[in-house]
Amino acid sequence: MHRRFRVGLLLFGCLGNSAFSQSSAAKQARSEPQSLIPQTTSAINSPKPMSERVVWYTIDAKYDPSKHELFGSEVLAYRNSTGQPLDHFPFHLYLNAFQPKSTWIREARRIGTRDVGNYDKWKEEDFGSDEIESFEVEGMGDLTSALHYIQPDDNNKDDKSVIEAVLPRAVAPGETVVFKIKFHDRFPEAQARTGYKKDFTLAGQWFPKVGVWWHGAWNCHQFHPTTEFFADFGVFDVKVTLPQNQVIGASGIEVSSVSNSDGTKTVTYHGDDIHDFAWTASPRFKVGEDTYQGTMGPVKLKVMMQPAHWSQETRHAKILKETLEHFERWYGPYPYKTITLVDPLGQEAGGMEYPTFITGDTNWWMPDGLYLPELVVEHEFGHQYWYGMVATNEFEEAWMDEGLNSYTEVKILDDILGKHTSVLNMFGLTAGERDIQRASYISVPDLDPMTRKAWQFANFSSYGGVTYGKTASVLLTLEGVIGEDTMQKAMHVYFMKYRFTHPSKDDFLNTVEEVSGKNLRWYFDQAVSGTQVFDYQVMNMTALNTNWYEKNPKEKKGETIYESNLMLHRKGDFQFPADVLVKFENGDTVRERWDGQDRWTRFSFLKNSKIASAELDPDHTIQLDRNNFDNSLTRNPSSAATSKLTNLWSFVTQTLSQFLGWWIA
Amino acid sequence: MSESRLLGSGWSAVRKNIRYVVWFWLLSLVLARLGSSAFRNQVGPVLDNSMYADRLVHGFNPVTLIELLSLPQTGELRGLTVPSYISAALFAIATLLLVPGVLRQYTSEYRVSRDEFFRTCGRNLWRFVRLALLYALIALPVAGILFGIRAWLGSLADKALEELLPFWVGTLMLLLIFVVMTIVRIWFDLAEVDVVVRDQNAVRKSVGAGFRYTWRYLGRLLGAYVGISLIALVVLVGGIWLWHVLVPPSSVFGAFLVSQIMLGLWLAARFWQRAVAAAFYMGEMLVSPSFSGFRPPDMGAATVSAPAAIANPS
Repeated sequence: MHRRFRVGLLLFGCLGNSAFSQSSAAKQARSEPQSLIPQTTSAINSPKPMSERVVWYTIDAKYDPSKHELFGSEVLAYRNSTGQPLDHFPFHLYLNAFQPKSTWIREARRIGTRDVGNYDKWKEEDFGSDEIESFEVEGMGDLTSALHYIQPDDNNKDDKSVIEAVLPRAVAPGETVVFKIKFHDRFPEAQARTGYKKDFTLAGQWFPKVGVWWHGAWNCHQFHPTTEFFADFGVFDVKVTLPQNQVIGASGIEVSSVSNSDGTKTVTYHGDDIHDFAWTASPRFKVGEDTYQGTMGPVKLKVMMQPAHWSQETRHAKILKETLEHFERWYGPYPYKTITLVDPLGQEAGGMEYPTFITGDTNWWMPDGLYLPELVVEHEFGHQYWYGMVATNEFEEAWMDEGLNSYTEVKILDDILGKHTSVLNMFGLTAGERDIQRASYISVPDLDPMTRKAWQFANFSSYGGVTYGKTASVLLTLEGVIGEDTMQKAMHVYFMKYRFTHPSKDDFLNTVEEVSGKNLRWYFDQAVSGTQVFDYQVMNMTALNTNWYEKNPKEKKGETIYESNLMLHRKGDFQFPADVLVKFENGDTVRERWDGQDRWTRFSFLKNSKIASAELDPDHTIQLDRNNFDNSLTRNPSSAATSKLTNLWSFVTQTLSQFLGWWIA
Repeated sequence: MSESRLLGSGWSAVRKNIRYVVWFWLLSLVLARLGSSAFRNQVGPVLDNSMYADRLVHGFNPVTLIELLSLPQTGELRGLTVPSYISAALFAIATLLLVPGVLRQYTSEYRVSRDEFFRTCGRNLWRFVRLALLYALIALPVAGILFGIRAWLGSLADKALEELLPFWVGTLMLLLIFVVMTIVRIWFDLAEVDVVVRDQNAVRKSVGAGFRYTWRYLGRLLGAYVGISLIALVVLVGGIWLWHVLVPPSSVFGAFLVSQIMLGLWLAARFWQRAVAAAFYMGEMLVSPSFSGFRPPDMGAATVSAPAAIANPS
């Protein structure tokens, strides 16, 4: 027996209510199908389970990194909490999406994806697959031959990303059924945040995963380029056997690591109250560890960096800690004992979230003033809340995890890095995350509502712009209606009320209305469910002297009365009340409010000074307007911006001229 | 003639005839302004009365610029860029046509009159067009092959575990491409001087002479050219640094001044290289016994005195 294994066993014994005790619980569950899923808490800082546990996955996986193949043995205990008998069970086989005729590839070719640009050059060795070799149900026998692929979304018979098992007898309400599945994975060359790249592996969506009984039916969608995931909470006990030179990280807590005589090692992990499990391995990871004192207990931070990025380890750990601190302070406690941040090899595996396990995205050349690593780490950690704990349906309501997360990303990065400098702050160039989110939305403002199912968006840009950018902009604009503090409180209440559940649209919207005490349907109908475009304009302004009828009227400063007229125009179909700040030449200001109901409105002022400027939304709370340039108007033009930009344009043109002159003439 | 003497002689010619740098700078500025007029006309109405434009004046927010360029009022980006491309191409053509006059001055001891300058340009117009075509015939395939090798090596380096390898391979290949293309540039710069000084109608002979002398004196010539390029690089980095440190974001004039000084110095650097080629030609090629049949061109009253030019290379 290896020393490390003995230490592991000793630790197991000390854990008390630990993963080790689950082994007996597992046996118990399998021998007594009626028993409950284990109530372990060794992976969380809570004395009792935090979710209604529906699943218990026990997986034994053997991975060969040279072939990128994995042979797995999965025991899934599923507790039927649906209140009705179930005789068929759908399972996700996500890796089958990376096949030439799959729905994933078909749609990726049609609408685009952030990964492989040209599938015509995609080689067979880059494909992925997840094959079930045997499928047994305890007490019902081998049902492998009874499995069949289903395509609930598009009827593409070549798509094998969902498989269904029909049982010979129904599982009664409250009963626990145990599935024993042997499967064989072939990982694709990294894309959609899973697979291998050189000697790096990110194993995401790698095991057969049962669908979710939701709103009275199975919810188990095919895998699409724009969809992510949806699963039930439960317990994960996972053993991964792989070569000893591999440095591994995974969801949950590491329970043991045992060296085997054949040059491999077996690393065991345990996760409580999570709904997915991912792991990564590479022989070249450099690992940094730290501890964060959370409100529920200590959280172990593990940062796994590529060797060429090791100088950025501190930067990653810092933003991870700061993000964690903000989430705990603003939205609610982080209950898990670990968070693992992986710096993947290549962008294809970058920027992904799994429970207690996230991937960042950086480059060796990343300058200090470009905060892309911070942005990605903050965003992916945010998913521990919006996806990890508040486990919305990412297939059908992607805005509820990606969009809410983009909103909190803006808020937190604003606080940490500055409102207008949270993405870029170098060489006099600045950009804030709110600018980026808005820009992504205004490029595709009217194709799809936020509530569109993820795979039904018009194209990838619309999916991204609306799901991420519009949602963030909608919630930032909402702050102007209900107040920033109220909005933060609403997010906190929503998190605390719906953590470890599967809420949907109305749960969130109702919470915001309850907390704010306001009926906001007029806003949600347009912004969330509608495709109305927000486009206001200061249309024109005039200043007329009122003594025009006099012979030789002379304007006397401070004495002549002027009728200043200001016209506001609603160019889009989004109706929204907005303030306008009017300034006069003598320094006076007037603030007016327009309800935005009509297409236009006019404000007239009789004053002894001419109108000088008008600015819609002077507090800059509206993030949805597709054109901010026409939201203000000055009577006297200033060419400073035009001159500056023209100079720059001219400079670039001259540089090009000189390049040509240098090398050609 | 040593490398430092080459540089010194070249710089002396540029300094004495700084008017050419100024004229070419003015030409590039005027053309660029014309090329930018579409941009100014399109963005002006959007920006001039908008308070939101402040985000581009006091500091610089690239997202705001992208938002501006994506507005329907700004028009298609192509409508803004094409005039700039055309103006850049016009400058390159103008350079091609006016360089013979500059080379005439750099190979003469006296101040070349305006008449002579333009007569030289006119006389050599089609020769330089032919030279440019020959240059393209050689430079484009060479550059294409080298960039192809760079891409191939890059794809091989991409397979390595060391993440920085593709960068280093790419950078080293870029340096190699720069050196090779500089050699081609030297070759044709010498050929251009030869065409002007010897009033050579058969440009292929000048190309042949340029090739022979480039290889024979490669070290010195390449050293001088690369040295000048490095100085231009320092000007670029220093200029950007000064722009960042000294010029307030809202100072339109300050930015204009610094950027134009940078551009003027780059132009001077390229003229310096041409002057080095001229000095080398006068000091090494023209006095060489292998150069026979030298025939000064008939340029009217101010004809160059060949022996004087040979004896006292500038």
